[in-house]
Amino acid sequence: MTARREKALSAPALRDLAGELAAYARACGADEAEVSVMDGYEFNVDVRKGRIEALIEAGSRSAGLRVIKGKKTAYASSSDLDMMTLRRLVRNAVRRAELGNPDEFAGLAPLVKDRIDPATLDLYDPAIAELDSRQKIALARETERLALRDKRITNSYGATFGSNEIHSVLALSNGFVGEYKQTYCGLGVGLQAGDTDNRVEDSWSSSKRHFKDLETPEAIARKAVERTVRQLNPRKVPTQNVPVIFDPTQTGWLLGFLFGCVTGTAVYQKATFLEGKLGQRIGNERVTVIDDGLRPGALGSHPFDSDGLPCRRTMVVEKGVLKSYLCNHYAARKLGLASTGSADGSGVGPGNFYLEPGPDAKAPEDIIAGTPKGLLLTRTLGHGLNGVTGDISRGAFGLWIEDGHVAYPVTEVTISGNLGRILETIEAVGTDLEFLGAVSGPTVKVAEMTVAGQ
Amino acid sequence: MEPLPYVDHFGLSASDLRSALGAALSSGGDFAEIFMEHRSYDFINMEEDIIKETAESVSLGLGIRVIRGDRTGFGYTNDLALDKVRKTAETAAAIARRKAPQTPPPPLRDRTRRSDRFPVRRPADRAPLRDKIKLVREAYDAAKRYDPRIVKVKAYHSDSLTHVCIANSEGLLVRDTRPMVKLVCVAISEDGGKRESGFWGGGGRVGLEFFRDVHTPREIGREAAREAMLLLEAVDAPAGEMPIVLAPGHSGVLIHEAVGHLLEADFNRKKTSIFWNKMGRRVGSDLVTIFDDPTIPSFRGSYNVDDEGTPPRRTLLIERGVVRGLLQDKLSARLMGGAPLTGHGRRQDYGHWPIPRMSNTYIGPGLDHPDDILRSVPKGLYVASLSGGQVEDSGKFTFSVSLGHLIEDGRLTAPVKQATLIGTNIDILRKIDRVGSDLAFGLQTGTCSKDGQDVPVSDGCPTLRIAKMTVGGRT
Repeated sequence: MTARREKALSAPALRDLAGELAAYARACGADEAEVSVMDGYEFNVDVRKGRIEALIEAGSRSAGLRVIKGKKTAYASSSDLDMMTLRRLVRNAVRRAELGNPDEFAGLAPLVKDRIDPATLDLYDPAIAELDSRQKIALARETERLALRDKRITNSYGATFGSNEIHSVLALSNGFVGEYKQTYCGLGVGLQAGDTDNRVEDSWSSSKRHFKDLETPEAIARKAVERTVRQLNPRKVPTQNVPVIFDPTQTGWLLGFLFGCVTGTAVYQKATFLEGKLGQRIGNERVTVIDDGLRPGALGSHPFDSDGLPCRRTMVVEKGVLKSYLCNHYAARKLGLASTGSADGSGVGPGNFYLEPGPDAKAPEDIIAGTPKGLLLTRTLGHGLNGVTGDISRGAFGLWIEDGHVAYPVTEVTISGNLGRILETIEAVGTDLEFLGAVSGPTVKVAEMTVAGQ
Repeated sequence: MEPLPYVDHFGLSASDLRSALGAALSSGGDFAEIFMEHRSYDFINMEEDIIKETAESVSLGLGIRVIRGDRTGFGYTNDLALDKVRKTAETAAAIARRKAPQTPPPPLRDRTRRSDRFPVRRPADRAPLRDKIKLVREAYDAAKRYDPRIVKVKAYHSDSLTHVCIANSEGLLVRDTRPMVKLVCVAISEDGGKRESGFWGGGGRVGLEFFRDVHTPREIGREAAREAMLLLEAVDAPAGEMPIVLAPGHSGVLIHEAVGHLLEADFNRKKTSIFWNKMGRRVGSDLVTIFDDPTIPSFRGSYNVDDEGTPPRRTLLIERGVVRGLLQDKLSARLMGGAPLTGHGRRQDYGHWPIPRMSNTYIGPGLDHPDDILRSVPKGLYVASLSGGQVEDSGKFTFSVSLGHLIEDGRLTAPVKQATLIGTNIDILRKIDRVGSDLAFGLQTGTCSKDGQDVPVSDGCPTLRIAKMTVGGRT
């Protein structure tokens, strides 16, 4: 079970393919063309109750294309890298572009001289390619074994180890060619506690670019067990307005929602309540949000975006004031702003988007201790986010806080509020910021939300 | 529409497939399967009054699965050269890890069914792009013209044609051709600093005739705009427990979340679902009968064969409140002691293995007149449209209302903004105390996610009353 990886296309071949297609698009009559080519390798093992349940090993490739002709745009993509298929897609795209309407803002980003050396970002870990399948399986097995030692755990969703290696190339008809390799690895476990009719569940996982940075099986198992068993014997509380403390996993989705609301794409589509708020106060002084695409080793870092523009660090909200929207080249032109190097396919994606703890940040224990009554939110169910209004309404699970202490777990309630109001009424920010994903935040306490229950 | 011979898409003959299946079993697997897929996809997007972009995409590849006992090995490739296919087979084979005499798999017999549940008259993949652009424009213009307070509109059309070919070590060879069409409109309204959005759409495994015969683009645009306008006047949803009346159609999301997922066989085999020990037991009121039916012609969740090559059948899940069935795939059926297959093994694409999934899930009609149900509620919430939901294995589930109305003295009053409702399935199923005679299906635009795999689904229900459920509004 140690099938070594076989490279489908070597580095120069990927580069040549991208360049060749961009040139072919120009030859077919495109004014401008952008070609991205990706070669990926995936390994994934699921272990449940000590046995391997499933194992995936695969390589895959794909190509993406954007052509612009007469200010009209067409896209194409393919997982079939046969040259005949690709050339046909290029010709179709050029022909199809003519059926669209001219868009004065369409066009590739200009070629910029500043380039970021991918090596400085530390995105690739050769140790992942060196890992033996048996080691990866053993890690998953060990994580689950440690978790199942706790007698309160009554069932397992299994443990998973996964890793990816991705080699990306981007070629633009203006002469830009960029490429980089990146790795990801992840280890996690999901658990249940309680009997069939009173089950509670939770999980923990760690995801990193570097194998050595992964949390240990002990740490993952401990957190998964703790998050699961602390929900046993929950209550449903009466409907009331109370302070809500978001644990970092919950601040994660809250910030993900904020990210969607500060993208230039949402702004020109009027699909965000933060449209027209640039330069204005949208939160209190505790709200400082940064998007940093250049943090070495972090999951959201990249040397350049899908427009071929260098990624960068952007102050999005500074002490409550909305400083910048996050834009790809197109949204930036539309809004008369500068791109923030945030292009991700035809949309906008985060670099490392996070809420920065300020000088008055407190230890999360102290935030809880300073709360006479409230909900510590640990998990949500359902979607219930509306960017147009900022409204939030989600199923919620957590721990009830009374007199600064955890009193009992809470289940089957909802939390509702509005992101705009939340940003204005953040009472405390924790010191516990960790970069768990491309969007991350510390513990955050919000003055008041509606908890609906009995 | 005659499907193209699979060799045209995949370049692999029956004997190539048989030899790859042999390689897949070379380490002693019990079962091997090759799933080949070719999908072409077209997309048109209109916003800011212009056809802003079009896209075309081609997806080609195959996935090979080997099962040995309860273990699955899986590999996929989008390079269909025979040596790469064999290599993928060997990677998947490694899961079995046993020296075994290699018996060649039996010859493949083509069992492709003649019947076709997708009687398409105007195939979208062959229609000129101009025709599809016209549909998008009609929807866009209808929304824009609905009211001057509609400030932004986005309309898009997508269509795909997927050819699949499945071969396995039991000698099965089967092909299916699956069209899919979707036209969607999002409208944003603005008045006095307030802004709201509305959504509507339609489609299914249909041709472009759908937009003439079933829902016109104009209807889709107008409905999106109407919802956005109504929401401008909407009040916050109330918070707490109250009686709920669900509109017929898309409220089927409730059943999808509360029942469907937790009767997928894998969750029951692993005993993580609250239902695992409740087969034959009462979990709901006797007004509740629930089916999942992949055989409904033209529906988004339908197929001629599932992604393991099994002919699907309508499956009874709950009969008058009692659990009667599970949604099965081959692996779970084997591991549950040879349970009958229901044809619910589905996958997102060739890069994923099949798991038990829903198709078109619905609650059967009752006897009550919908107006009587509404009149029976002095004070409560009417759910007019929904935007999705989620469930966990304990039976706790949510669904999000995108537009509701207050019910006062048995009549609909003020429109209500979005809110999420939460409950536990075995509690809520018991509280369904009125079921209408007006079974309808929701918008044919839904997608269901499980284990990182998205598949198209639809759901339906008649007007329903739930005696009491928690509404995530504001006080």
